[in-house]
Amino acid sequence: MNYILTRNDIPKVLEKWSEAYQVIAPQKYSNFSAFLPYEGKAEQLCLEYPHNTRYPPKALFLPQSEELLKYTKDGQASEPGLDTKPKLIFGMHACDTRAMTLLDTVFDAKDYQDPFWKARREATAIITLGCDEPCKTCFCTTVEGSPFNRQGADIIMTNIGEAFHLEALTPKGEKLCKGLPLATKAKDRKVAKLQEQATISMPKAFETEGLKATLDANFDNNYWEEVQRSCLGCGVCTFLCPTCFCFDIADEAARSKRYRNWDTCMFSVYSKEASGHNPRPSRKERTRQRLMHKYSYWVDQIGKIGCTGCGRCVRYCPVGLDIRAMLREAGTLPVEVTHA
Amino acid sequence: MSAQEPNIVLFQCQWCLYAKTDQDWVENALPENMHLVKTSCTGRINPLFVLNAIQGGADGVMISGCKPEVCHFKEGNLGARRQLTAFQSLLNHIGYDRSRIRFVWMDLQDTGRIQKELAVFEKDLTEMGMSGVLVTRKPGFEGGMHD
Amino acid sequence: MTDLETKLKAEAKRLLDEHLVDVFIGFRKENAPLHPQPAFFTQSDQLDDFVYNNLCQNNLAKFLTRYPRETRIGMIVRGCENRSVNHLIVERQHPRENIVLIGVPCTGIYDWRKITQRCGEEISSVEITSEKILVTTPKSKFEFEPKELLHVSCARCSQPNPINADLVIGDPVEAKDPARAKRQVETFSGMASKARYEWFTHEAERCIRCYACREACPMCYCAECFVDHGAPRWTESMVSKAGMQTWHIIRAFHQTGRCVDCGACERACPMDIRMTYLTEKLNTDMEIEYQFVCGMDDKTQPPFAAFTMDDKTRFVA
Repeated sequence: MNYILTRNDIPKVLEKWSEAYQVIAPQKYSNFSAFLPYEGKAEQLCLEYPHNTRYPPKALFLPQSEELLKYTKDGQASEPGLDTKPKLIFGMHACDTRAMTLLDTVFDAKDYQDPFWKARREATAIITLGCDEPCKTCFCTTVEGSPFNRQGADIIMTNIGEAFHLEALTPKGEKLCKGLPLATKAKDRKVAKLQEQATISMPKAFETEGLKATLDANFDNNYWEEVQRSCLGCGVCTFLCPTCFCFDIADEAARSKRYRNWDTCMFSVYSKEASGHNPRPSRKERTRQRLMHKYSYWVDQIGKIGCTGCGRCVRYCPVGLDIRAMLREAGTLPVEVTHA
Repeated sequence: MSAQEPNIVLFQCQWCLYAKTDQDWVENALPENMHLVKTSCTGRINPLFVLNAIQGGADGVMISGCKPEVCHFKEGNLGARRQLTAFQSLLNHIGYDRSRIRFVWMDLQDTGRIQKELAVFEKDLTEMGMSGVLVTRKPGFEGGMHD
Repeated sequence: MTDLETKLKAEAKRLLDEHLVDVFIGFRKENAPLHPQPAFFTQSDQLDDFVYNNLCQNNLAKFLTRYPRETRIGMIVRGCENRSVNHLIVERQHPRENIVLIGVPCTGIYDWRKITQRCGEEISSVEITSEKILVTTPKSKFEFEPKELLHVSCARCSQPNPINADLVIGDPVEAKDPARAKRQVETFSGMASKARYEWFTHEAERCIRCYACREACPMCYCAECFVDHGAPRWTESMVSKAGMQTWHIIRAFHQTGRCVDCGACERACPMDIRMTYLTEKLNTDMEIEYQFVCGMDDKTQPPFAAFTMDDKTRFVA
């Protein structure tokens, strides 16, 4: 069912939700915004910006540094408890919400479930805020998403000016909306039109039809030598990416704890082996890896592109590398037809 | 540190104490709140040693080596003096008081000097109190985004 | 195309056509707003996308260490980049005879973060003239004066002109008041020590250890960075207080006598963390104690390498 949440009602409603959940919302942080626990200061909420947070909300489920266990010198080990505290994310964009469903295929798969991830996912409800004015640097529609994509959301929220229109999508969502005024059919129609307009307003950033085949066929193309020239090999794109999930496990002896930390394929030490051999010795292999993983290997694994088009890598790359341009160019590479 | 005793880490080169009584003292009879880290030369002292000591809870760090003219390795202490003084200045800049890092450059005749210097240092640090800054490697003090 | 861009492009074309360089490093037109990209031209027909303006925010000297010593590199350098190149030559990273420097007196780099702070993160276009900068967003238009947008390092820059470029294109720029260069350090030093520590901690705690600052810095070219050492474990890789503090303190410290205060580190940071207040202190120390300013020529050793027995009168309490 559909409901209306007026702007004036937001503080009251969030307070009510805070009784059952820890509410987390995008709020002012430094010069930009971040997902922070809501502490009753409605003026801090960032629901208007036509942009996203910089630091991705995947950190709410896969913290950048997470304790896995602690140990004593005489060999006693203990695990921290799982995080089962009920949380409500209020205002995560559709690209980020969909990204969580993609990460579920990694951390909550048939053969393996990560208990830390699973516990957090099960304890968290998500109210997705759709983008009525998608940014120029976003490209969710190019990668099978949309500004109002519903995958992974308990409620989808649309900005209609004086209020937000809420569409409950799951029983959890319905429960949250209890007590809110119902939306009229007229409002529903207005919202449907708004959502459609936002979606079709986004131009196609690059061609995905045949992209994987082209990338696979050009693994050894000199294109990769060219595309990596200005890449710094830092971790900005991967750490800000909502679908990147690689991690490194480190025993920090000074703390007697084992931690899991985000890792990035862009660092040279990422693939360095104990022998000293590095199968990705230069930036060429590593930049190629990043693009191939997202647009070819993910497709091999789950049949979907591993990118949701949030645009963070485009906005914050220190050297202005734009993945959309890189893929447009890659798409023009020849696909040789080999004769048996 | 208890209310009375500051933690002091002494980084000292192995050559600067000429008298055997002094050598025995630093190796065997240092008070409990003082910890010796002996290096081959002060030139070996990486500023990260000093930082790690501070993060582990050192209220004061003493760096002791030979006077410029008498370095066993000729120039080790010269580089150390420049580097470690600059590091002291940087740490002071971010709030770790410069008087918590003390340099003692010894001469061959300085028998009994190290004990005196440490005693004075301990007294000064007791007046200053615990440092309270940068103590992020001590268990219970870690802090940060995920602690 | 501005007059400067036309002249630079012509010079690049000449160097490439006459095979005087193997690669010419400059910038090309941005894809993402506010970020022209470092570009590596090997033939003059690649120069169609060439741009050069105040939004070109990377220190191009970074790319010097990527090429083997035999590669003849042509590079556009502003004052700070020229000094970075000079110091890389001092550190023997590339021979001077294989570098051609095209110098540009610099009017300062516009800090993209100042633009997004005022205009929001959705930028449609930027138009730069000598008097003003016009930023257009989907909803609005903003007008800035150059001095409003200068990156903090540029606002206090005392070396805007190239030092020893092979050719200089453009008129010399007046250096900023040298007293101004000290002001940020003096203001910070004037704070109580507890306040300084809190400020430092507040900046460091946003860090996500992406190392964009390290990768953007021309002087960070170590094959293995101290953060990647397992034994000894200098610092944690975690986003903990200890890890972040060590990272910021030591990265700054490893630049002592090597930093030209270009500010590329800050501009690369996706979390808007301040760092130049650390390196500025070290640069000031080097200047006061050793009368050393990094990169003023390509021969002078930095203070940490230039110790002599004359030092015996220094550091005497």
